[in-house]
Amino acid sequence: MIWAFLFAFCSTVGFSILFHVPKKHIASAGFVGALGWLTYTYFIISGSGSVLACFAGSCVVAIISDVFSRAFKDAATIFVIPGILPLVPGAGMYYTMLAILEGNLEKMASTGTETILMAGAIAVALLVVASVTKLLTVMGRKLLTYF
Amino acid sequence: MINQMQKKILILALHAGELMMKSGAESYRVEDTITRICKACKIPYVEVFATPTGIFLSLDEGSPDSDMHTFIKRIKGSSIDLDKISRINHFSREFTSTDLSIDAGLSILKEISNSKPYPLLLRILGAALVSSFFALIFQGTFRDFFCAFFAGACSYALSVLLDKIETNLFIRGFCCCAVATLIALGLFSIGLGSNLNSVIIGSIMIFLPGVALTNAVRDTLAGDMVSGSSKGIEAVIIAVSIASGVGVAIKLWTLLGGAF
Repeated sequence: MIWAFLFAFCSTVGFSILFHVPKKHIASAGFVGALGWLTYTYFIISGSGSVLACFAGSCVVAIISDVFSRAFKDAATIFVIPGILPLVPGAGMYYTMLAILEGNLEKMASTGTETILMAGAIAVALLVVASVTKLLTVMGRKLLTYF
Repeated sequence: MINQMQKKILILALHAGELMMKSGAESYRVEDTITRICKACKIPYVEVFATPTGIFLSLDEGSPDSDMHTFIKRIKGSSIDLDKISRINHFSREFTSTDLSIDAGLSILKEISNSKPYPLLLRILGAALVSSFFALIFQGTFRDFFCAFFAGACSYALSVLLDKIETNLFIRGFCCCAVATLIALGLFSIGLGSNLNSVIIGSIMIFLPGVALTNAVRDTLAGDMVSGSSKGIEAVIIAVSIASGVGVAIKLWTLLGGAF
């Protein structure tokens, strides 16, 4: 688990360099990515399917990014984009392609569907977290006006 | 007639919007920034429509005899640069909250647009970091680590080269992933590397459409269906290009008699 955290941290830092994340935010972007990946591996180890694990990991990435964007007063995109990349199902895509090359259509259908569902899970997770935080901030503002 | 002052405001706002869109910002953020800049310059009626390929901006002075003006900015090509997004975000906040002059604003924007990404060598190192550590994540050994390091660095250098000669999205993804796969296969066949799959997965990780995917969701959520669906299609095209690049490279390798 510690190794997974460390590896994911290093690769997210690599992505941050590619996308020109401001220098002061590189470490925190790496932390976001590593935490997302840690959640993913935790769910995989505890026996959940990869789609659910992807959903949970993306939720964590989105929530932590939102917290960081408020703390550092910067756009959430800076943390979400590098942080989400380890979860994008590159491996699934590769195995789907292998199945196509082998002519194994059954395997292709199953791995391909899983890949698409994982990408969908990332999208849904981002959507859910963004909606909930928006709702919470609106409610918070409403509450503040009463006092 | 439009006066010189308003024209400058327009240039400022459109330039800021264009820079943000090119750097990979979401549509609602671009629209929000442009509206804020125009409102800060006391233009009462502003309407913006931003898509990944163009920005439309209409504004009116508000007096009964004034004309309405509409401007279109076509956006071509894009490269993700989160530093620019962050700096323009700060700039628009500063511009609206303090009485910064328009000329000063323009010069700040020019400075932001001229800012370079990290030096090429560092970026190649970043790409190598991504692919090598991903190889480790996907059960690679330390020998795979070095193979993926090399394959990732080479394929990223190729993608920079292809960007320079302005190839399209599909060709770039296809060529880079094909080369990454061929390098991995080559290194594997001369005895370096023990887990071929982890090396290939690691080196295609750099080109995955994560940015397009996240922005597609965020745009759709904000109600920008046009931007959302076009970003979604971009993500699909990139994914297909990567998969076909890897597939063609492996097929070619086996046809030429290589072991797989």
